[in-house]
Amino acid sequence: MRILVVEDDALVADAIRRGLGEAGYAVDHVDSAERAGTALGAESFDLAVVDIGLPGADGLALLQRMRRGGSAVPVLILTARDALADRVSALDLGADDYLVKPFALPELVARSRALIRRSRSAASAELVIGALRLDLAARRAEVDGTAVSLTRREWAVLECLALNIGRVVAKDRLLQAIANWDEDIGANAIEVYVSRLRTKLGGAAPIRTVRGLGYRLDDAPG
Amino acid sequence: MTRPAESSVSRRLLRLLLLPLALLLGIGVFFDYVSGSATIRAAYDRALHEMALAVAAHLRDADADGRIDADLPPQAVAVLRADSVDSIYFAVRAGDGHLVSGDADLQALAAGNGSEFGDGHLHGEAIRLVTHPTMIGSTPVTITIAETTRKRTTAIRSILASVVLTDIVQLAGTLLLVWLGVRYGVRPLRALGEQIEQRSARDLAPLDRAQVPVEVRPLVHTLNALFETVRDSARAQQQFLADAAHQLRTPLTGIIAQLDLLAREASGNGFAPRVLALHEGTRRLAHTANQLLALARSERSATTHDDFAPVDLEALATDAVAQYLDRSLHARIDLGAETEPARTLGSLWLLRELLGNLVDNALAYTPAGGRVTVRSGVAGAVAFLEVEDDGPGIPADQRAHVRERFRRLPGSPGNGCGLGLAIVDEIAHAHDANFVITDGNDGRGTRARIEFRVA
Repeated sequence: MRILVVEDDALVADAIRRGLGEAGYAVDHVDSAERAGTALGAESFDLAVVDIGLPGADGLALLQRMRRGGSAVPVLILTARDALADRVSALDLGADDYLVKPFALPELVARSRALIRRSRSAASAELVIGALRLDLAARRAEVDGTAVSLTRREWAVLECLALNIGRVVAKDRLLQAIANWDEDIGANAIEVYVSRLRTKLGGAAPIRTVRGLGYRLDDAPG
Repeated sequence: MTRPAESSVSRRLLRLLLLPLALLLGIGVFFDYVSGSATIRAAYDRALHEMALAVAAHLRDADADGRIDADLPPQAVAVLRADSVDSIYFAVRAGDGHLVSGDADLQALAAGNGSEFGDGHLHGEAIRLVTHPTMIGSTPVTITIAETTRKRTTAIRSILASVVLTDIVQLAGTLLLVWLGVRYGVRPLRALGEQIEQRSARDLAPLDRAQVPVEVRPLVHTLNALFETVRDSARAQQQFLADAAHQLRTPLTGIIAQLDLLAREASGNGFAPRVLALHEGTRRLAHTANQLLALARSERSATTHDDFAPVDLEALATDAVAQYLDRSLHARIDLGAETEPARTLGSLWLLRELLGNLVDNALAYTPAGGRVTVRSGVAGAVAFLEVEDDGPGIPADQRAHVRERFRRLPGSPGNGCGLGLAIVDEIAHAHDANFVITDGNDGRGTRARIEFRVA
């Protein structure tokens, strides 16, 4: 899998290239929006990591040009400014995620992996999270290659969590996901399904309870 | 030393207008009275004089020896004296002074060639008299007519009463009009004062010049220029801080990321502890730089209400929990939310910074196995954000000090730089919000609460 890194600071760029390289990605690095445009036109990438503060045309301009040109490559924006305006305009312009400097390298790698996985699953209807493999089209789950039998409601909860991997999913949202099949579901129903999922999936899919909010399926490295 | 009296335009106007006006009207009353009573006096005098002429018409030169005949039949005398109010006296004297007819005790005035008016007393009463010298044949005769002054006094009194009454009504009307006029006239000033008074000190939007009277337009103009200057300087400060943040963070990012790599490469060899120490030190440096930038950005001089908008405090609270979840898992602290819908007017990124610091602080000071809860909601007239932990708590006598910059409780764990609560304090101030630190539930731990105005 191939990642384009657009970053003008040599020290940062070098670290990102090495970090992503160690995680098993092929990394191309350019130091300006213009060169990034050329690279994106010539090759296909699975992810672009774009710094906002580039000399000349900035990262947001590059992002805008990409989205206007119809590019669906996921974009992870990096910025040293944490003013909200930057964040809002980046997400409005079609960025997929946003990281404020200084960040830890493992954080960048984890976010990159999540973005690539999300875009792949959208393309292939398959989601792989560590030992867990979900076939979104056939509604089938496998742990270490062994099929796990799930009820429709259990599947709906797992799918909703898996599509939002690493993010907290509110209980209300999970309720909506299963309400399609059953109109009278108590608020406790979700707890029941989550607890059954935990039993069936074991450690392959650690589902965290976030008190007062909902649940989060944790990302496993790999 | 006495304090100078508060200067008020309307009071000053009233003082400057009311006193001279009252004086002017008082003088008007006096002159109206004087001229009115003079007219009455002249009219009564004329009537008196006509009586003298009427008496003269009845006198005859009886014979050549100079004796005068007063051809005054009793009926005529009765007609002359007939008056329901005043007593009328008359005396006709010949040139040698002897009384021809009338009242002997009425003395004539020393008359020249013309009629002479004068005042006197008769039978203990004030009288007005006229002495009219005339010639009957070749004999000089003096006719004196007098009347008491009751009618005059009554007439003058009634004139005085009506004049004074009219003038007093006029005076009162004028004073009322002046008072109303001044009040109405200074209303735009009062409105401007109220408009300025009701603004938040951080509201730097220009004042509307259209509704302001010409006289204070320069003042409003200057105020607006001042607002503009403050806004510009706040904007310049924000711009500088954004640039400074970029210049500081980019190399720090490079160093930290490189140290991340180096630490992995060095793991197992003798350099590892030193690389890890470097990594940790740099991370602390980055944290301090971040906190300093956050503090500078949230300072009053750098924030205006220009970018204030309704903020969903509940979303802010749940976001904060999601954001700090990994850290809480790592520290084995149960981080949770108890949120109710709440909104206030504010700056989203400043409030995010504020809540982040509170949660960060709670996680830093709560031991493993503890519990940190983020709350939002509305209580009465305030919307609140709250972070409660069941850690060791902040002693009551330290609660004011922990908001000071670079202040850390003695013996604190972790490696904070002591700016977290100072940032919270600044941002709360910028939002005119209360920052209250109390004990947590059951007197354990700390409850940090920010109370906003409900939006």
